[in-house]
Amino acid sequence: MIFVPVYLVFVPILAAMIIFLFQKPKMAYLALVAQGVVTVLAVWYFLTFRDDYSQTFFTFGGWNNLIGIGFRNDAISISFLFLSIFIWWMVLIYTFNAKKDTRNFLFFLLFLEGVFFGLIQTNDLFNMFVFIELTTILVSILVAYEKAGDSFRAAIYYLLLNTAGVLAFLLGIILLYYSFGNININQITTMIASSDLSETTTVRFAYVLLMSGIAVKSAMFPLFTWLPRAHAVAKSGVSALLSGIVVKGGLYLFIRISLMFAAAPYDTSMFFFAIGATTAIVGVMFAMTQKDIKQILAYHTVSQIGIMMMGLSSTDSLTFSGGLLHLYNHALFKSLLFLGAGIIVNVYKTKNIKYIRGVFRAMPLLSILMIVGMLSISGSPLFNGFISKSVIKYGLTDAQYWLLQIVNLGTATSFLKMSQIFFGPRTLSYPLVRKREYLPVALLAVACLTMGVLHVPIADFVLDVDLAKFKPISLQYVFEYGLMLGAGFLLYKYVIDKDYKPVQWIRNFRISFETANYMFLLYFTVMIGVFVVYPML
Amino acid sequence: MVKQALLLVLLGGIFAVFYLVTEDLSELYNNFGKTYFQLNGLLETGSRNLVTAIYLDYRLFDSFFEAGILLVAVAGIIWISKHDLNEKNAQFMLDRYKTPDLFITFSRIVYPMMLVFGFYVIINGHLSPGGGFQGGAIVATAILILYYIDHDRETNIKQIVTIEKLVFFLIVLVASLSLLTRGEFFTNFMPLDSSVASKAIYLVILNILIGFKVALGLWTIFTAFLREGR
Amino acid sequence: MNPLLTFIVVLIGFYGLATSKNIIKSVFSVTIIESGIILLFLNLGNFEGGGIPIVGESLTNIVDPLPQALMITTIVIGSTVTALALMLSIKVFHHYGTVEWAEVLGRKDGE
Repeated sequence: MIFVPVYLVFVPILAAMIIFLFQKPKMAYLALVAQGVVTVLAVWYFLTFRDDYSQTFFTFGGWNNLIGIGFRNDAISISFLFLSIFIWWMVLIYTFNAKKDTRNFLFFLLFLEGVFFGLIQTNDLFNMFVFIELTTILVSILVAYEKAGDSFRAAIYYLLLNTAGVLAFLLGIILLYYSFGNININQITTMIASSDLSETTTVRFAYVLLMSGIAVKSAMFPLFTWLPRAHAVAKSGVSALLSGIVVKGGLYLFIRISLMFAAAPYDTSMFFFAIGATTAIVGVMFAMTQKDIKQILAYHTVSQIGIMMMGLSSTDSLTFSGGLLHLYNHALFKSLLFLGAGIIVNVYKTKNIKYIRGVFRAMPLLSILMIVGMLSISGSPLFNGFISKSVIKYGLTDAQYWLLQIVNLGTATSFLKMSQIFFGPRTLSYPLVRKREYLPVALLAVACLTMGVLHVPIADFVLDVDLAKFKPISLQYVFEYGLMLGAGFLLYKYVIDKDYKPVQWIRNFRISFETANYMFLLYFTVMIGVFVVYPML
Repeated sequence: MVKQALLLVLLGGIFAVFYLVTEDLSELYNNFGKTYFQLNGLLETGSRNLVTAIYLDYRLFDSFFEAGILLVAVAGIIWISKHDLNEKNAQFMLDRYKTPDLFITFSRIVYPMMLVFGFYVIINGHLSPGGGFQGGAIVATAILILYYIDHDRETNIKQIVTIEKLVFFLIVLVASLSLLTRGEFFTNFMPLDSSVASKAIYLVILNILIGFKVALGLWTIFTAFLREGR
Repeated sequence: MNPLLTFIVVLIGFYGLATSKNIIKSVFSVTIIESGIILLFLNLGNFEGGGIPIVGESLTNIVDPLPQALMITTIVIGSTVTALALMLSIKVFHHYGTVEWAEVLGRKDGE
């Protein structure tokens, strides 16, 4: 029973290898079987340990827990586990094809799943590093999977920039090992709480190294440049996976390391709120000006990560769980939008929203599902994005509140812009869409609505927080949302649509690789200034 | 120019902070792990080489994914490099007549020695410096030399990749045996109180498997590169 | 060797990443950072007169074996990353005919 986490890691990996070894297309069904086994195991595990997560800790080989590698689970990791299982189901159904030879793709997809489960559950810093690096390698292979020129350049950009970040993370682990004598996360948490080691320069420097590595992985400002490249060129299923859950791996690390240093006297919340707000505003600014449908969605991932950071950086537990909730909700609606956009791109053979017209007449069901996703991401009442944004808003001061409103306005504008694809005359006579591809999109739309309406019991069940004071709908909320849409429409009509010089400039603005690394060093130095040098003065 | 100067200032600043860190570390230095391994390492794992004791027993879980990274990279490189896995190839990219005869002759002498040395390092991994990963790399280098000697060699990549995957299965299987004998995941399958000599059986088996896997993985990687160079 | 010297190796790698305009050079910068980190990790645990971590060889004071075991993992990871990055850059060259970042990234999508 206690070893279920090990099975969760190894079932997808071994299934991946069996699929790879037997070269029959029919073996693809094994992926579904493995996924089913993982789901059953995870549910069983959750029901057993739901009341007391402190029992979930174990060490491989039964060694002293300071020496061996341990696994442990808590409410956050379990909820991440279920979220990732759900998204993997959707992507698997979406890309499933037993007639074609997809074993290479399934191999990488399922291996990534096993590795991601390991990343979520591990309690050892070096083991975490191994898993992060393995995810980086797997993601870059999945990005390059299409074997087109732009997927190769996106893959190498992703691989090198993220490896540089992960190596900074490793350097941090080294310094922590020499100061604490072990790399067990639980033990370091206790040692930080019980001693004043965290005030030494070494541990502060290690904290900065860990956090700047994570900043690359989780695409914070100014290090998000790899994300639009990688997420926009991958296959639609892979984009949904990357934007939905894999990029959240970085935020998960942020949560873990923040909790590890929770007892340390670092003033983190101001700094990370500022980073989050900048990320959100810059991301939404880029998103408003793009014309490529997948680029729009990818830049929205950046801006939504900023919003999550606004919540997660808070020390207040309610705002923090608001950030967490927004993370889950974003995984749902962003996967929905990417999968839906994938169907549209397949049918119309273009990614430019200028040339896509009449989607509503051609594919009414898909359009309704996409509109659900758009309403969720722009924070409409009754949908899940609204709930988590209200929870985050609740803990903000006035100035911070307006920052969030600016981001919301930008989101509304860019989705008004994107919604023009629905209008217009029907240009395609009979779109060829496989029925199977509709299923995950529809399920995700249902999940968005469920999270929007039944947020109180769900949040209580999973995260143990009471959200009863956040109502899903009222006249005031609808009015506010309508006002937001109106302002967004004006902004779109008179600024974005006119295509002024600055708008074009932002659209074509790309950061080169060496500048991205330069910014990494700059970010790193600023963090040193804030967390190491400033307290010494 | 300004950019470069600023960059140097940034790096200088980071270096200055790191200087303070090293000053700090000598006081902080915590040797808990070192003491533990020195006292218990041999008795608990049966390995004289404490490094081997760590990566084959205490932290075996890491080693899986270390082997797994190689596995994934091999599969990825093969996928990226070409469409058809069945194609037989790996012709040497250098012209035969440009490789000096002296080099070929010496390669012939060195090849068996390297192979034997590689196996020695793998098998004695628990007694002397070395182990599966290091020895596997040496064996792979020896195989690379083989391409200098006989550059018309053909390698069936598909077969190697299949064997590599099977070896990974075997590694997981051998490591999981401890679940049956000791009720613990991923450790020595011999009971904890058995003698050092009997524990070594497990270490040798696992070192050989890992060495095999690493050698095959590296072999595939450079075969893929040789093919690109054509 | 002094840990400070090895940290300079790490910084040289970062300098290379932030200035090199060529994909291959960037790949090697990452490799340099990695070598620097490996040397740094081993150096910080080293001390004058430390024996090798093999029981029976050195009687009294051994160096910490854990960094050495972890660094084997890092070396393997590093070599696979380098191999994958080089293969990707070969492919980039096949598609764009150049390995300069500016030219590769400057092309419009869909070449």
